[in-house]
Amino acid sequence: MKAAVVTFPGSNCDEDTVIALERLGVEPVRRWYKDTDLGGAEWVILPGGFSYGDYLRSGALAARAPIMDAVEQLVARDQLHVLGICNGFQILCERGLLPGALRANRDGKFRCTWEGVRVASAPSAWPGFQVGQSFRLPIAHREGAFTVSEQELDRLFQEGTVFLQYCDREGRVVDEAANPNGSMGAVAGLARGRVMGLMPHPERAVSQFLGSEDGLEFLRLWLQGR
Amino acid sequence: MKPEEVGLTAQEYDEIVRQLGRTPNDLELGLFGALWSEHCSYKSSKSALALLPHAGPAVVTGPGGNAGVVRLEGEWLVAFKVESHNHPSYVEPVQGAATGVGGIIRDVVAMGARPIALLDSLRFGEDAPSQRLLDGVVEGVGNYGNSIGVPTVGGEVYFAPAYAQNPLVNVMCVGLLRQAHLMSASGARVGSGVYLIGQPTGRDGIHGASLLASQDFTAEAEAVESMRPTVQVGDPFTGKLLMEATLAAIATGGVEAAQDLGAAGLTSASAELAYRSGVGMELDLDGVPLRESAMTPYEIMLSETQERMLLVVPDDQLGAVRAAVAHWDLTLHRIGRVIAPDVLRVRWHGQVVAELPPTVLSGGCPIRPLDRTAGQEVVRTASPAVASPDLDEALILKVLAHPDCRDRAYIYRRYDWMIQTRTVFGPEHDVAVLQLRETAAGLTLAISGPGRWAAADAWAGGAGAVARAVLGVMLQDSEPMGMTDGINCGNPDRPAVYGQFRRLVEGIADAASAFGVPVTGGNVSFHNETEGRAIWPTGIVGVVGRHPHPSRPWADRVRVPGWRLVLLNPAPRPDLGGSVLAHALGQLGRYPAPPLEALAATYPRIQATLRALAPEGFAVRAILDGGLLLALAKLTLLFTDVGVRVKLSDDDPVARLFSEEVGQVVVALAPDQLSRFAQQAEQAGVSWMELGETVEDPVVELAAGSGRWRLRRDQLRQAWQTYVHG
Repeated sequence: MKAAVVTFPGSNCDEDTVIALERLGVEPVRRWYKDTDLGGAEWVILPGGFSYGDYLRSGALAARAPIMDAVEQLVARDQLHVLGICNGFQILCERGLLPGALRANRDGKFRCTWEGVRVASAPSAWPGFQVGQSFRLPIAHREGAFTVSEQELDRLFQEGTVFLQYCDREGRVVDEAANPNGSMGAVAGLARGRVMGLMPHPERAVSQFLGSEDGLEFLRLWLQGR
Repeated sequence: MKPEEVGLTAQEYDEIVRQLGRTPNDLELGLFGALWSEHCSYKSSKSALALLPHAGPAVVTGPGGNAGVVRLEGEWLVAFKVESHNHPSYVEPVQGAATGVGGIIRDVVAMGARPIALLDSLRFGEDAPSQRLLDGVVEGVGNYGNSIGVPTVGGEVYFAPAYAQNPLVNVMCVGLLRQAHLMSASGARVGSGVYLIGQPTGRDGIHGASLLASQDFTAEAEAVESMRPTVQVGDPFTGKLLMEATLAAIATGGVEAAQDLGAAGLTSASAELAYRSGVGMELDLDGVPLRESAMTPYEIMLSETQERMLLVVPDDQLGAVRAAVAHWDLTLHRIGRVIAPDVLRVRWHGQVVAELPPTVLSGGCPIRPLDRTAGQEVVRTASPAVASPDLDEALILKVLAHPDCRDRAYIYRRYDWMIQTRTVFGPEHDVAVLQLRETAAGLTLAISGPGRWAAADAWAGGAGAVARAVLGVMLQDSEPMGMTDGINCGNPDRPAVYGQFRRLVEGIADAASAFGVPVTGGNVSFHNETEGRAIWPTGIVGVVGRHPHPSRPWADRVRVPGWRLVLLNPAPRPDLGGSVLAHALGQLGRYPAPPLEALAATYPRIQATLRALAPEGFAVRAILDGGLLLALAKLTLLFTDVGVRVKLSDDDPVARLFSEEVGQVVVALAPDQLSRFAQQAEQAGVSWMELGETVEDPVVELAAGSGRWRLRRDQLRQAWQTYVHG
């Protein structure tokens, strides 16, 4: 099984993502943003970081990189499972492969904390995820507040695009005022077709001694997509 | 141009003329102004720094390079150093702090090491403007570290009026490298090309070293305003590309020497590199990529534009190095070559505009001889002993709520402390523990330097900082391999300040020698002084230890009731001098001089005693800020669901609870470990006293004499987590 990890200039979670995939017995294929193909991989992860320094808008420039043309084409042909983590999620939204946008956190500050997330809708392409299942994963971002219009948010919930929501230790969803970054609908991640994006970092939660192994389980379920 | 315009004295100018045998031209004078500045030459500090011990079994590279290097395991080395960016952070906190982080990261990269951890040590005043400075500094440290992808795994922050107009921002960076990639600035060989990579050079930061970092501040707001253009702007995005490009270039094996461009920019980088390599250098400034048009040679040579690195590459290695750099979208710009004679020759538009011997530029600055009498008056000045107030709940809560004690989450949650997935113990612990994929051994990192302890007796503060950081590392079953020191003082031309400086360095040196931990590099920042009011002498010590089992750190929390609580190496007559309680009461007193020989003998015994216990059967914490009481609270209810019941037999329970005398250790023992512990401690000769036990309710129950006190977790947490910010 080959899974590509794309490095944009400014990506900084690419190495951690490669290591997590290796832990799961997957052969990681490293791709550079200038590449025009994914090296035959049918799985791709857009890792976290500060692509292009987040200087225009987070993910805005990376969304226009050559490798993203290849990603979009393979997605259109249903030949690729995509996971965008943090900055990768922002890139997917900027590219229009996922709806909405990630805006500055409620307090305008970077935040690095452990958080709970809960599966709100089981994504059709990933049968392993069960509604109500929760994971303890870290977040580390300044721009993670999911934002769409109210009508669009309702529609995303109805059609099952809202995949993950922030939750407390008991698995209860925490509202906009209490979730860590002010996301509308407490949205932590989306999945539409074979494209998934989330703000938390599963690749960091790969050992008990690092705080949690839930990220390993999360990535294992992602790799079981169909 | 006059000497004072570049920060030189008339005597120094005369010395330059004498050593050169001629008068320097204006450009040459500017180069001297930068390199003979306090910031670059260490002219006031060098003779005192010679007191520090540098040798040790793990040392690979001592002071003098971009960072110290110790051997961790096999071919794997650790490069580390602390550096200050105090003055820029006062003038422009976000950019000042950010460029400080960028600078120390590049120092570690220039050794050939990949940065894997940052620790920040911050000092601020207690007034409202200081809170804004803190917010900006934290923003700046986070902006750079988070973006470049190096975790900030630990740190410390303290507050006192003495830092109000002189905040301190010291950052330590730790990097990991293979022996084969170890770089030095002394490797340049005659005939090789000199190349610049990174940002195009602009007019930013000119005179940063000579005027901003090497002078006191005045009280006028305009004066601070006028310094703002001397602060550089950080670009962590380019910093990330530069870091990757430099490491990739070094990995080709084709780089002879690397030197980052920091204070005094190209002048310092080229002269230092030539001086340390024992060669000369020809620079052609027309090869330097510029961001602005019509820059003069003076501006090009002294610009402190960030994110630039100088590489020395022999011609036959050029192809591989160029390709490695180009992958990261950067260009290798040839700006000169290494020559044999002792001369730094600068050409511009075909003309030689400066021609100076590196041995004079970098090695010729007159060094102030060590004055062994200065500072004695500090020792003779007796500070009154701190009298213990009555013990009550309000007193306990006052200490927990003190800014020097309170929860630092409001700072560190703005830092990415877990990227690179090595952080086993992050910033909510007293030391950081990193698990490495490259080696079985991990790293334990401690940083410490409470100014409170040095305020009345700088020697005690310096020795205490070392004793505290070494203990922190050893309480993680780790072996200290080396340390770095960041010295921060006022204006060294004032005898009282020079005395504080010398005593501070002596304290660090004496403790480093006593514990056998070498100092492999560091930084001195003087002129932390406004209108004649200097900061407390502040020596920040960072210790790097080898952890034998990083994925199973020794616990520093207890989750079960019924564990026995003991105090190891209790102070015979606990003294409140220099403590947070004393600070909060407004009668700081004098921190008791650490008994170094006794501590050096005791630490290994404490470690051996704990090592003999079942690993899951104990938890341990050193007594730090806030004393025994805060150590007990952090061991239990501030982080877990159990409380403590403690009975003190002391005549003075307040001193016992809040004294911060270094070397005292609290241990919680599973009931089945107590007899083994007692036996081991006796065998090792470690003194200890029983304190009590952990209890099911999350409360602190204290009994002393006829007094009884009971505090609930919500009271304690509320006090501990009350933020001015966030």
